[in-house]
Amino acid sequence: MDKLLFRDIDEPGLNTLEIYERRGGYQALRDALKRRPDEVLDQLLASRLRGRGGAGFEMGKKASFLPKGTMDKYLVCNADESEPGTFKDRELMQKNPHQLIEGMIIAAYAAEVNRSFIYIRGEYAEQADILDAAIVEAERAGYLGDRILGSELTLSLVLHRGAGAYICGEETGLLDSLEGKRGNPRLKPPFPANQGLYQGPTLINNVETLSTVPAIVRMGGDAYAAIGVENSSGTKLVSISGHVRRPGNYEVVLGTSSRELIYDLAGGPPEDRGIKLWFPGGSSSPVLTADDLDLSYDFDTLAKAGSMLGSGAIIVVDDATPVVDVALKLAKFYRHESCGKCTPCREGTNWTVRMLERIDAGEATPMDLDIMASVQDQIIGHCLCVLGDAMAMPISSMVAKFRPEFEAHIEAARERHGLSAAILSAAVPQPALAR
Amino acid sequence: MPRPQPTPVTLTIDGREVRATEGAMLVDGAKQGDIEIPYFCYEPKLGPPVGACRMCLVEIEGIPKLQTACSTPVKDGMVVHTQTARVKAAQESVVEFLLINHPLDCPVCDKGGECPLQDISYGWGGGTSRFIEPKRHFEKPLALSPLIAIDRERCILCYRCVRFSQDVAEDHQLVLHERGYHTYVGTFDGHPYVAPFSGNIIELCPVGALTSRPYRFRARPWDIEGAGSVCTLCPAQCNVTLTVRDDRVLRVLTRDHDGNPGVDDGWLCDKGRFAYQSFHVEERIVEPLVREGDALRAVSWERALDAAAAIARHAGRAGALVGGQATNEEAFLLQRLFREGLDSGDIDSRAGGGVPLELERALAAPALQASVPDLEFAHSVLLVDCDPVDDAPILDLRIRKGVRRHAVALSVASARPTALDASAHHALRHAPGAGEAFLAALDAALGGPGDARARADAAGLDAEAVASLAASLRDGGEDVVIAYGERLGAGPRGPHALRALLNVAHRLGLDTGRAGAGLLAVPAGANGRGVREAGASPTAGPGLVEPAARGRDAAAIARAVEDGEITALWLLRADPLRSHPDQARWRAALARAGLVITHESVMTEAVREHATVVFPAEAYAEKAGTVTHPDGRLQRLRPAIGHAGDVRPEWQVIAEVARRAGLDLGVSTPAEATAQFVAAVPFFAGLTLEDIGGRGVRWNEREAATAVPAGAAAPFELDDPPVAAGANGSLRLGTFRSIWASPEVEISPALKFLARGPSAELAPADARRLGLADGETVEVGSNGTRVRASVALRASVPVGSVFLETGLAEGSATALEGEDDGAALVEIRPAS
Repeated sequence: MDKLLFRDIDEPGLNTLEIYERRGGYQALRDALKRRPDEVLDQLLASRLRGRGGAGFEMGKKASFLPKGTMDKYLVCNADESEPGTFKDRELMQKNPHQLIEGMIIAAYAAEVNRSFIYIRGEYAEQADILDAAIVEAERAGYLGDRILGSELTLSLVLHRGAGAYICGEETGLLDSLEGKRGNPRLKPPFPANQGLYQGPTLINNVETLSTVPAIVRMGGDAYAAIGVENSSGTKLVSISGHVRRPGNYEVVLGTSSRELIYDLAGGPPEDRGIKLWFPGGSSSPVLTADDLDLSYDFDTLAKAGSMLGSGAIIVVDDATPVVDVALKLAKFYRHESCGKCTPCREGTNWTVRMLERIDAGEATPMDLDIMASVQDQIIGHCLCVLGDAMAMPISSMVAKFRPEFEAHIEAARERHGLSAAILSAAVPQPALAR
Repeated sequence: MPRPQPTPVTLTIDGREVRATEGAMLVDGAKQGDIEIPYFCYEPKLGPPVGACRMCLVEIEGIPKLQTACSTPVKDGMVVHTQTARVKAAQESVVEFLLINHPLDCPVCDKGGECPLQDISYGWGGGTSRFIEPKRHFEKPLALSPLIAIDRERCILCYRCVRFSQDVAEDHQLVLHERGYHTYVGTFDGHPYVAPFSGNIIELCPVGALTSRPYRFRARPWDIEGAGSVCTLCPAQCNVTLTVRDDRVLRVLTRDHDGNPGVDDGWLCDKGRFAYQSFHVEERIVEPLVREGDALRAVSWERALDAAAAIARHAGRAGALVGGQATNEEAFLLQRLFREGLDSGDIDSRAGGGVPLELERALAAPALQASVPDLEFAHSVLLVDCDPVDDAPILDLRIRKGVRRHAVALSVASARPTALDASAHHALRHAPGAGEAFLAALDAALGGPGDARARADAAGLDAEAVASLAASLRDGGEDVVIAYGERLGAGPRGPHALRALLNVAHRLGLDTGRAGAGLLAVPAGANGRGVREAGASPTAGPGLVEPAARGRDAAAIARAVEDGEITALWLLRADPLRSHPDQARWRAALARAGLVITHESVMTEAVREHATVVFPAEAYAEKAGTVTHPDGRLQRLRPAIGHAGDVRPEWQVIAEVARRAGLDLGVSTPAEATAQFVAAVPFFAGLTLEDIGGRGVRWNEREAATAVPAGAAAPFELDDPPVAAGANGSLRLGTFRSIWASPEVEISPALKFLARGPSAELAPADARRLGLADGETVEVGSNGTRVRASVALRASVPVGSVFLETGLAEGSATALEGEDDGAALVEIRPAS
């Protein structure tokens, strides 16, 4: 397979304009500018590239939703990569920032946008510095600014550093944060394509999505669409982490077998332990088990299996790890990151953590598992944004798939804490009286 | 600007056909079909929905996920289910989530019984909770401000209060701190939430998290009754519901939550919300007093009325001042007594001088009148010599709403910086007293004759800025509203300023009668417009008719008392020592007058030192009668409580004194007084109390309005306005009356803290030059008169000017205001 995103990725100095250009960089932009914007947009549509940030919406379609006209329109690159297990954008920005910038310029041309932003999470300080330097280089070389390369295209690009909130990776939360407000998700509709940044039409795409754009222009949308499987075209960066021997980012053709990814590329769990469960698309995807390892790694297959491809981050958990630990760790993350704006997420994430803590402390009964499952059901689909679902879906899947282990854990924890099952079964925990 | 036109749509909710208005959100559309969808965060007064609480989830056919009914507009043919198992499960779960951290302390919670969370928990909740962990704890209750208590444990984080502060009042003080389940409401800097409109968040709070400190634990919902009336503490005349228990007002709320869209839009200022305390304080005068020697003595009504009837002996030598809290009927009856019984036309209701009748009529022309909602929907709004937050607070919120939601282009021209400057496209700062010169310059810039540049110079303004403002008013769309303060027409040059204003209105085509555009006069007194149309004016009788004889204006009355030509004064809710210029002359006049009759509720200097007869004044909650809003809306006051102590209705007192003085006014009930007043004003023809009803009626929109006599016709030839005095080392004196400068604020225990002493607003550069520091006590003076004030540095005050407060019991800047000079020059120095 020819690498697209990771072409020359380990070339020393690829982050500089000189090396990037020497490797053919910005040629795609020059080619794109020779065509009309709608012709470039047609290529993006033809590629059937699905967004790489998590939702998997077709990028070309999203770009085509922007109204035509001369109002201020915006392109925002979502570089707030915060989903646990996901670290592909970091490598793209660190090693090949110009590929992203070139992709953004082409996307801006296709969507007829003239202001663009990169919103990068504050923790990516090193990557932000690299991008800043690359933006300056691109400006000096005339790839950004007025009448780019003598064309009609004018584009500004501003890098904005976030302050460390997962919710700012949610596109509308990102927009509020970028506007200088508290990063809370907005109600949709209106969707950003109609009313986004500063109420203007806004196209928001993930780093990987935009970094793919030069390759699409280079090879043509149809050729790109021919890679991969139905409804999952192209190549994808997969971040594989957790209990594997060779964690890292791998560029694969969509439709590759999951087993191949986890075992052949990442080496499988150390000491030849078995796999208890794995997250196929970041920590917010419902978990799959060892039985699912032969699933084809693509959008539709994973959705059919009850999970999702998400951001393309596989987290492997081996059979030596208690599922309760995984659930608690996960729930705590989402409780910490919930913005608190909507009720089910704010209260549900906290309640779930409290229940899991009780389970771990031996102060629960199997009835609590029913309550926990029902709380997850009360969260799913009822929230303002998907953060609540992001906790509820994996927790729900864990309780459903590993209920015997949860029950055994409760039993063992009780005994560990010296509480006999007989006492507890006679006396269900009483609510603590509020002072 | 075109306003939304209602288009009906038909949809199906729970199998029932519902007709609703297109664009309405589903929760509101459902109400039109008598279907209730519960919600907490939705509040259309706050702007677009936020969908935070998730209580209003419903099922809509064709959409797989449940949708929030608060943010889904109704569509023709939409099929909605609010009662399915799926919806019920979602509703129960949201209630369960909300209650896991909400203390179930309803029996001791002040909101109990009128609490949406309580109602919704009973109506849509599951009845039990499965949450057995400890609840969230906060220190409680805390004082969010001296007026508001906050209980963070009860807060359900619906965002309403924060949205009010951020998006409605735009004071940007309230924020949500932290995030997730740690989130709590507080001020950004941790200081108390003190703002002119802060009390609205109490009413917005759907739980007992924000409660009124003055009302806390004073009553339960089943102890109280609500009584609708109109707040007459300022010209905004907001419609209120008074919470009454045992014949005492314990709380003031906006009327029926949504208020009156033609008046207040459902908001109240803190003065209106909390000054009800002044009805029930010991400081209030509740019995008639008569001066015996040096002292005032409580006497029977008989004696007081007889003492006042002595005014008959001053026939031809009596003068009257009518204050803004008087009703139309009171003003009407008093001018009848003066004109018919005492052979005197010396009756005035303006502090700053009379307005010639032909101008009064021109300004009252129905074609020229803008309404309050016009402020929200106009293309452009221009404020001249008027800061709504002080002069008629609720208009400040209305203008902000227009700017924020309907892109109204706001411009401000004033001497003193206004609270709305930050929202304005143009904020022009003319010299104190140079409103006339500004308008004359604007007139010229709009194509009138005259030298725009010279006039702008005379106003201390940049001619380019005036030209740019003129262009934006002319080209920014035809609906222009100009709101101006009474200050503009004050002083000897007042009529010139008003002519310039009429010219500007004419050049912009506002006098053609187009709806949605016009002038809005903001009077100094709450019912300033009403009492003038009732005849409390030296130049106009009731209905702006030519009076039998023109009388003296306020300043001339003071001079006439000094000269011995007037020997008796009747002060109907008017206090010249507080609010009239040339305080020294008034003090002398009050001392000289043989008979001074006042209607007052508190012991002011004028009462204590000079009154001969004191009638205890009614609180508005005790009053029956009508008042007229600045935009011409007649509104009805209805008594909510009985009179305190021995207080009697003012109309009755006037009628009784008249009878004893030999004039039978022929009124024995409030309704008779209203009928007599209406009958006397041709342009009110046919109006009844029923027409006025609970929402009021704008007389200038009725057919009878054509009966307003024609006034002088613009354009006028304008004189060259006087050139604003160069500061030249000293400072130009400008004055303002703060929202808090009123006796009601001073005697309301909860509001007292806002009635600060007199302050002198100064530019930091001037303070540096003069070696003065913020908060320092200074003496400001001219011609030997001095006023003490504390320095308040304000960056937006123009260099060379100082602004002092009027309307204060002590240290009022009226002491420094001469009757002749537009803008006095003053010296300022540290107090010795």
